Amino acid sequence: MSREHKSERPAGITRTAIFGATLGVALLGSSVSVLADQITVWSGYPEMAPFYQHVAEGLKAQFPDLTVDVEAIGLRDHEKRVALGISSQNAADVIELATSSATRYMQEDLLQHPPADVASYVQDPANFDKYFSDAASYNGQVYGAPLFRGQSALYYNTDMFKAAGLTEPPKTMDDYTKYAAKLAQRDANGNLTVSGWSMRLSGGGQGIAEKFWINMFQYGGNIVVQQPDGKWKMTLATPEGHKNLAQYIQVVHGDKSDTIEAPADSDAFERGQTAMFIRESWVIGDIAKKAPDLKYATSTLPMGSIVSPVNLFVGSDQHSAEAWAFIKAATSPENQLWMLENVGWLPNRANLDYTEILKKTPQFAAFVQLPKDYKFFQLPNIGPADEFLTRVAAKLTDDFADASLLNNDAGIDAALKSASDDGAAVLDRAGILAK
Amino acid sequence: MLARRQWLFAMAALLPILAIFAWVRFYPIEETLRMSLHEWNLISKTRPFIGFANFQELFGDELFLTALFNTTVIAFGTLAITIPVGMGIAALINYRLGSRLAGVFETTTFIPYIVPLVPAAMAWKWIFDARLGPLNAFLSLFGISPLSWLFDPVLSVICVIVLCAWQAIGYAVLIYVVGFRNLPTNVFEAAKLDGASGLQAFWHVAVPLLRPITLYVSVVTLISGFNVYAQAYVLASDAQGAPGRQVRVLVLDMLENSFRNYRVGYAASEAVILLAIVLLLTLVQFSLLRERGAR
Repeated sequence: MSREHKSERPAGITRTAIFGATLGVALLGSSVSVLADQITVWSGYPEMAPFYQHVAEGLKAQFPDLTVDVEAIGLRDHEKRVALGISSQNAADVIELATSSATRYMQEDLLQHPPADVASYVQDPANFDKYFSDAASYNGQVYGAPLFRGQSALYYNTDMFKAAGLTEPPKTMDDYTKYAAKLAQRDANGNLTVSGWSMRLSGGGQGIAEKFWINMFQYGGNIVVQQPDGKWKMTLATPEGHKNLAQYIQVVHGDKSDTIEAPADSDAFERGQTAMFIRESWVIGDIAKKAPDLKYATSTLPMGSIVSPVNLFVGSDQHSAEAWAFIKAATSPENQLWMLENVGWLPNRANLDYTEILKKTPQFAAFVQLPKDYKFFQLPNIGPADEFLTRVAAKLTDDFADASLLNNDAGIDAALKSASDDGAAVLDRAGILAK
Repeated sequence: MLARRQWLFAMAALLPILAIFAWVRFYPIEETLRMSLHEWNLISKTRPFIGFANFQELFGDELFLTALFNTTVIAFGTLAITIPVGMGIAALINYRLGSRLAGVFETTTFIPYIVPLVPAAMAWKWIFDARLGPLNAFLSLFGISPLSWLFDPVLSVICVIVLCAWQAIGYAVLIYVVGFRNLPTNVFEAAKLDGASGLQAFWHVAVPLLRPITLYVSVVTLISGFNVYAQAYVLASDAQGAPGRQVRVLVLDMLENSFRNYRVGYAASEAVILLAIVLLLTLVQFSLLRERGAR
């Protein structure tokens, strides 16, 4: 018995080993084949996930076995994973990134270079305006393809405007303050129930500074301006900055048309908790999903808007052929129009015909049919852009909550100088502060 | 000879474990210390040595000082709530409640410790909501005006302390209950014979005898308090439509400096400061609470 048992054991082990090895090879082979047919897309905008899936579906004819794994998360976390992924050479095949964030990777040549045909495609003015192809390039080297842009307009609740006796959107920044006061709604105790104008007053990150800059731009100002020598000069503590901060303080602490604790942004607008606010075009797609019955319109801003180009890059050389094919497909005219209609982000592709979409969703007009003298600005394409804006935002957040700044010109100037000094310190450390 | 062979065998057996421990514990600490003396933006190929420049800059950095202040207040605030409340609840469970219910109360108080942090923080975010939150609704019953819990600079820090303490108390109660059950009964009998009331016996006998437990709980609570991050991040994040006042804490500041500002050396110097503070406070706690004569 014992002998038989002993004699059987090696055979059993051998069989098991052979079976295990075969299974292992089979599993390894299958996993390799799966990996070869899969690309990963990293996005910082969760609402973009359906768009990338739509693009992937369209690629089936060219790559029948290709699987596209879309990982769309919040922007700030996305930026962190891109930093970690690229620095550790574990980035996704396709990465969506704003020019302001991508610049440092292009500077260090850490993003994949496209093949010649893709580079020509990006540089062809029939496909993309030079402004956008430049935004996906560095020192003449193309690194990515322009996808969409952030551009702001005013959203306003037409029912609330009607109830307040307002027949047209505000035309000047003074109008904004007056309108906000008229549109604000309060309960019997005088507490604000609907803000007249939802301004970005608190929260984290650079968004506060960006929104402040958009409003300041309506007064003809900028937070920072590039000088002829290529360096940057802080222009926050200027008369334009003063007017802008004074307006925030007036709305929040003077008229109390908005408050720090009031519900804000797109969610508040969709729930009828604010009468108007300034935001990018994606809100149109968001409203269509979350508040389809909301009566609202859009309007261009008094002077102009921010433009934040967002591009697609290739972060890994493992599946670059599939990745670049995906990027070309994502920037095709058909898919760019699909993105506008279904997600709401503005396409960067040139020569698109928006007629049909505007018929269905006239609110897009404030983003694509612009006055001739409409002006644009963009966030500086400098390495420490995020830190610079975050530092300024940290100061502004405190200023917005400071009621003592109401009708206090000296206080406002001091607050702006303090924020400006913080921003200047960041630029100075990076060696790009103009003296 | 035998002892030497035994020693060699023991060392050989321990070596893999020691190697792993050194790799996962000491190497990262050493790297952090080294990185704090360099300037590195995460993606550049060069890392110039800059000495203590990062540390010099830190102490003039308003955001860091704010983060340091907030973190210290949160850590000590959490400690100040957790120790007495945890000890009090454990005493009630041990002395005042029937044995059948004691298990239920132990479990109930321990649940917050094992509940995933993010959903718990979201629930607290709703509780603190200025307009819809039940806390303001409750306060209004007493004629108190609604408070902007998550927007006021002071109140938002208090909110984080409450959330941290809510979580930490469960663990403290569990440890204190074990401590209470292991206290020698004869000293309480002696105290009773000497005429001590229950409260006096608790204060003059139980509390001193529980000193080692208090030391352990306070060290653990303080260290976890200084590492606060998710509580502040979730309670006062920048999600659209739910703006909050960002309670800047050290870990949040480090993450921001590392992965948004690409200043890894600078963030490492913050980590070194945090390490030094925690080490120092732990030593102070040991020296204050360790029993006299104990090693």
